[in-house]
Amino acid sequence: MDATSFAEALDFAIGREKAAVDFYRELAALASFAVQRSTLKEFMTMEEGHVAMLSAMKARGGLELSSAIAVDLGLAKALAADEKPAAGMSFQDILVAAVKKEERSGELYVSLAAASLNPEAKAVFERLVAEESRHKRYFEELYEAHIARDN
Amino acid sequence: MDIKDFIAPFAVWKRAFEKPFTVKKPIDERPGAPRYRGFHINDAERCVGCGTCEAICMNKAIDLVPVEGREAKEGDSGLRPRVDYGRCCWCALCVDICPSGSLNMSNEYLWIDSDPDVFRYTPGVDKKPWDGAELGYRRAEGYRLLDEQRVPMAELGHREAVKSFLELVQGYSRAQAEKEADRCVSCGLCIASCPAHMDIPGYIKAVREGDLDTGLRLLYETNPFPEACGRICTHLCEGACSIGTGGDPVAIRWLKRYIADQVELSAYAKALPRAEPSVGKKVAVVGAGPGGLSAAYYLALLGYEVKVYEKDGEAGGMLRYGIPEYRLPYPALDKDIGYIESLGVTIKRGVAIGKDLSLSDLRRDYHAVYLSTGLPVAYGLEVPGDKHPRVLDGVAVLAAATRGEELGLGKRVAVIGGGNVAMDAARTALRHGAAVDILYRRREEDMPADADEIREAKAEGARLIEKSIPVEVKDAAGALAGKAALFVWNEAEMVQKEEGKRPVPEAIPGALREELYDSIIAAIGQGPDLSYVTEEDGVPMKRFKPLVDARGMASPGASPKGGAIFAGGDLVNDRKDAISAIADGHRAALSIDRHLSGKGA
Ligand SMILES: Cc1cc2nc3c(=O)[nH]c(=O)nc-3n(C[C@H](O)[C@H](O)[C@H](O)COP(=O)(O)OP(=O)(O)OC[C@H]3O[C@@H](n4cnc5c(N)ncnc54)[C@H](O)[C@@H]3O)c2cc1C
Ligand code: SF4
Repeated sequence: MDATSFAEALDFAIGREKAAVDFYRELAALASFAVQRSTLKEFMTMEEGHVAMLSAMKARGGLELSSAIAVDLGLAKALAADEKPAAGMSFQDILVAAVKKEERSGELYVSLAAASLNPEAKAVFERLVAEESRHKRYFEELYEAHIARDN
Repeated sequence: MDIKDFIAPFAVWKRAFEKPFTVKKPIDERPGAPRYRGFHINDAERCVGCGTCEAICMNKAIDLVPVEGREAKEGDSGLRPRVDYGRCCWCALCVDICPSGSLNMSNEYLWIDSDPDVFRYTPGVDKKPWDGAELGYRRAEGYRLLDEQRVPMAELGHREAVKSFLELVQGYSRAQAEKEADRCVSCGLCIASCPAHMDIPGYIKAVREGDLDTGLRLLYETNPFPEACGRICTHLCEGACSIGTGGDPVAIRWLKRYIADQVELSAYAKALPRAEPSVGKKVAVVGAGPGGLSAAYYLALLGYEVKVYEKDGEAGGMLRYGIPEYRLPYPALDKDIGYIESLGVTIKRGVAIGKDLSLSDLRRDYHAVYLSTGLPVAYGLEVPGDKHPRVLDGVAVLAAATRGEELGLGKRVAVIGGGNVAMDAARTALRHGAAVDILYRRREEDMPADADEIREAKAEGARLIEKSIPVEVKDAAGALAGKAALFVWNEAEMVQKEEGKRPVPEAIPGALREELYDSIIAAIGQGPDLSYVTEEDGVPMKRFKPLVDARGMASPGASPKGGAIFAGGDLVNDRKDAISAIADGHRAALSIDRHLSGKGA
């Protein structure tokens, strides 16, 4: 990506969050029963919140994201590479997909920050790395509490 | 008048110039003897407010009173003893009996005040000069009014145990049970910690008095699974028992089992309440585990017509298909279930809701529906290679063992996980002659399984490999391909990454280990199967859980569309043990009754 300015960097991030909304929407279309759909809807609404938040920041021309990187629970690394959930998806399948997605986003922003020559864009990407680490942490905690209770 | 009477006053005057026999300030120089029984001192932190001192005091000089800033919590009533010195006779029985040893006496005996009210105070709470006194009355070393040790339970030795699926714990004889029941001081601290709030001191008293019919009736007031719970309950009550503060807690679980074991099923009806006359309403229960069947029992008692739908061939849920028979023999479980059925509860075995019938069918045909479908979905390892044919799921292995199927686990078995399922799977594999490794991501003290289970699994020969993060499953080479697998894990160290949170296992770079196993049993956790609930059922759900209110109600339903829906048990609560599912079922039955009868709506 050739993000040279603050606005372009944010546009890129907003695009990614919109793709995340679509990600959950597609999964919801695949889902075969109610609790899958309500869970996916909850996560989709969260991503819509991120789109709205970033869009508002872009309009205001200032980035109000914390630079605090969340503690890595190390689960994402341990989980198997993505397997796209299918109609019978369990809560585990959904959470694995979510953790992996956040992990990919974080990695992408790390490389974008490293590649950015423009300091403004670099700062945006660095904040987004932190933001994604917090999203990943959120799903990792859900995974620990609901899925890997016995391990 | 006698001459002596005349002289006597002059004789007394003579004494006025002699050294007096008494001293001016007699007390200063006369401290109490080192073990004098003076005013009480109490270590308010150690005291659990059990009230045994209050009960033993024959002068009624002790009252348990609320104390500012101290709340009731598990194993602590939050109350503390207040002593009234207008009544106390300094016999020190309270000190001798105190289970925690917190109550003692200083050797201070002098306290002068014109206000009589001050002579009633709460030691350890109301500050006094003798607080922390070194001298005074203490219970003599080795002298106990209470027996510190519980009556030992006969159990199969570990070597013997792994040779068969025979029940490990043999049960108390009458003499043993009565002796153990004698240790209970009836403080009742245990009641609050039991999710079903069983009348524990009440049924222990019944054991002591040999009145087992009363004991059984008290058990059934809040728990229709005494045979099962008398064996496998997580016995939170024993953690709260005040006797446990200075010795072994009373063996509450074994005493419960004793009562249920002693009364024949055919004699239950005589001891237990009869069902109310029919109220003319029908309730469907989905799932014949302990939660669903408890709801069914209490609804039947209240006069409802109850049908339980169970997808499996037998009733009992995880008590039958999860817990192995060496911990809970099937005849004991059958006895509990048999009595519930004898009240007219119908169990439709082999009928899956969502497949054979829909939830909306039930809503249409019944006035209310109770969902207690538990956690039947085993979660996977989620590491590369976890679909290998030798990677098995723990719950499925245990269910196959219950059905008497050939398990074919092989000689070397790995069990991944540290919960109840992992321990039972490991011990089942040991009984099938396998060498077993249990691999757990954190440390032994972090394992969610019952500590007794972990200890026994190890004693029976399982090797525990802590701090092992699953990395990969690889197929075995050569002739063993497809028949055995290599389990690869990364050794970890526990890192305290955040203040106040539990430490996280972090892989040690390069510390990869692998072993060849004939079977790898994954037991990392289970989830619900809610595929039978549709949007039309109106059950709000979050994170794969129905949301219920304080009554256990998930959806009020509407008369034209159908009955209200309630839910509970493992599906809903966080504790995920049998007694919590039973408590949920009981609560739901009462709520359904209130809802349908319009009482207290
Ligand atoms: C291996 C193992 C060991 C355990 N050890 C202990 C222990 O030592 N102590 C303890 O207190 N607890 C223990 N537990 C937990 C305990 O078994 C559960 O907490 C308890 O059984 C939960 O009761 P429940 O009624 O909520 O669900 P379950 O017992 O799971 O029963 C649910 C029932 O619903 C049925 N069902 C599910 N879906 C449908 C459907 N769509 N239609 C019809 N029927 C359906 C299932 O077949 C099952 O019979 C253990 C669990 C396991 C798995
Ligand atoms: S069993 Fe223990 S906690 Fe319960 S009443 Fe008896 S002494 Fe108190």
